[in-house]
Amino acid sequence: MKRALGIAAWAAVAALGALALMTIAWHRGEPINATWFVLAAACCYLVAYRLYSAFLAAKVLALDNTRATPSERRDDGRDFVPTNKWVLFGHHFAAIAGPGPLVGPTLAAQFGYLPGTLWLIAGAAFAGCVQDFVILFCSIRRDGKTLGEMAKDEVSKRGGTIAQLAVLAIMIILLGVVALVIVNALKSSPWATFTLAMTIPIALLLGVYLRFLRPGRVMEASVIGVALVMFAVVAGQWVADSPAWAAKFTLGGVTLAFALIAYGFAASALPVWLLLAPRDYLSAFIKAGAIFSLAAGILLVRPEVLMPPLTRFVDGSGPVFAGKIFPFCFITIACGAISGFHSLISSGTTPKMIQREGHARFIGYGAMLLESFVGVMAMVAACAMTPGVYFAINSPATIVGATPEVAAATISSWGYPLEAETMTKLAHAVGEQTLLNRAGGAPSLAVGMAHIFSRTIGGERLLSIWYHFAIMFEALFILTVLDAGTRVGRFMVQELLGRVWKPIGRMNWYPAIVLSSGLIVAAWGYFLYQGVVDPLGGINSLWPLFGISNQLLAAVALVVATSILLKMGRLKWIWVTLAPMAWLVVITMTASYQKIFSANPRIGFLSYANALGAQIAAGKIPAEKIGEMQRVMFNQRLDAAVTAVLATMFLVLLVEAVVDWHAILARGKEAKLHETPYVKTQWAEGD
Amino acid sequence: MAGALKAVLARVWHGLREWSGDAAYERYVACSARAKEGRVLSREEFYVEQLNRKYSRVSRCC
Repeated sequence: MKRALGIAAWAAVAALGALALMTIAWHRGEPINATWFVLAAACCYLVAYRLYSAFLAAKVLALDNTRATPSERRDDGRDFVPTNKWVLFGHHFAAIAGPGPLVGPTLAAQFGYLPGTLWLIAGAAFAGCVQDFVILFCSIRRDGKTLGEMAKDEVSKRGGTIAQLAVLAIMIILLGVVALVIVNALKSSPWATFTLAMTIPIALLLGVYLRFLRPGRVMEASVIGVALVMFAVVAGQWVADSPAWAAKFTLGGVTLAFALIAYGFAASALPVWLLLAPRDYLSAFIKAGAIFSLAAGILLVRPEVLMPPLTRFVDGSGPVFAGKIFPFCFITIACGAISGFHSLISSGTTPKMIQREGHARFIGYGAMLLESFVGVMAMVAACAMTPGVYFAINSPATIVGATPEVAAATISSWGYPLEAETMTKLAHAVGEQTLLNRAGGAPSLAVGMAHIFSRTIGGERLLSIWYHFAIMFEALFILTVLDAGTRVGRFMVQELLGRVWKPIGRMNWYPAIVLSSGLIVAAWGYFLYQGVVDPLGGINSLWPLFGISNQLLAAVALVVATSILLKMGRLKWIWVTLAPMAWLVVITMTASYQKIFSANPRIGFLSYANALGAQIAAGKIPAEKIGEMQRVMFNQRLDAAVTAVLATMFLVLLVEAVVDWHAILARGKEAKLHETPYVKTQWAEGD
Repeated sequence: MAGALKAVLARVWHGLREWSGDAAYERYVACSARAKEGRVLSREEFYVEQLNRKYSRVSRCC
């Protein structure tokens, strides 16, 4: 009876999910309510968790709760710490949730709400969650080894080196592009710039508090810090209203870029307790609060989604970024559906803290479902504004024009009606001088979030406060990635250079710290700078580059996972990792090819460089601009080379893996697994 | 009823302390394997050591 009831309940959830999906897929004409999106996503996630993850856990991975995990065998109170599964879920989610699932879906909304939403849901269920779950499982069985170490053991030595280099390259591109998102959000905005700048002294204050006054009392320090940050959001308005102060905090893109580069260097070279860690605490609490508030806001307000299911830009002519729906919708969404970076967390801290193998399903598969849900909410927030406003905020000036009148005329001519006055009024309502040409996703998401929040609390009167709260939340989120990433990048550089000259590898030798920090910030700073000066807005070139590199890392993780499943004798179920891997190979290779070789200058790096060269040769570029354009040409060729190198590195790894699979399957080569031996748990059932 | 609510709140509080890192030092002191190391780090030393370890590997994603 109980079983029958259970089946009936799950059938009802599945039916509701199918109904919601059909509604959003076939809806045409009138705006559709966002509740359908929440319902479709929630029901699909529940069914995927109940059925697919259970299948993966039982049949494919055969999770074994009698097997002692690394946290039990090696418990040291430091790295290897048995942790309650709900607490570890919180840790894991806080680690994997970054700005990607907020920015990616916002940018992909230019294709309409449908393709992005469907990929967020399906991609997470069949690719992203699978990757996170399987890599977590593999790392648990190997005492918490990293992806690079597992690639070395289970694929080849060269595979391990490739994985390490790929991680460093991706880190550099990632840091450059997320820094560009901040620059575009803060540009010419004294309110937002002041608020974010204030988070630095607040973090320093918390750092001293946590180090000397109340060591390790993170929660009380964070409560104080969050209160101070909220005050800074409000105080930002006073700064913006004062002509003298506003002038000091009204900064251009290049100045902001150099300020961020200096900040990244400081965060990497200063003691971690002083700046980096307290900022991370602030970010974690505000992140959790803002995500739950957005979910609650969407459920309470139930906004109408005004963006059509598909826009005319599926043909590749989109103003936000160029490229057809295939493969660029998938490349752009990236982290909300599958993120290669997660495999570094799944093979880092989490496997060392997990209590039972069985918890890997909830933590690995479940946390990624929640991350995907954040992506769906970002899509809803972006699509809840009128399409005209969305395109005005996210398109570069070279495409839509730099004044409200020209931008409104251009966007209206595409079939998305917009009046110049709407943009002026909106900018005024959110306390900004302009909202035009703010590519990067952060401002448009902030406008969407501010509308949802203000309809819950405060109305139009608080719209500007909510907007700047949302900008602060996104920028804080991103700065956390920037400073933590720069520091990890510094360690990677030190490790690599230390192989050439040992003293550089010494983590506490100050000249080595300064040199390696300088190298890593110079590397991502270069990408940031090229994005800031790019006439097409930077996001058009750099976000696809980031998406390609992130998805390539996911493909690396799935190659490693497939090798391990094969060696475990799970040939029958090999498609669970092989199919998403094949899909990623298709989209990343297609996107890489198009980004390098497309004849359309808005898509192809080389053709863009050539087009600029032709303009210079034809005398169409003013003499004083020629030097700048030549730098843009060089940057485009550099981007093409980086894309080619990343794609080649992946293909080398893939070929090595396929040769190994063939040797095992066709030539009977011994499938040697590098798992730690089975040890029976000493913990009682249910511990 | 009040007792059950208290128990739930206590569990939530405990979970929050674990998640935020407030409980890390107590766990370190209580860890049996640590006893073999000899000297116990002070709360301040442990805090700094733990941060240095945490932020030397990938701890935040995109």
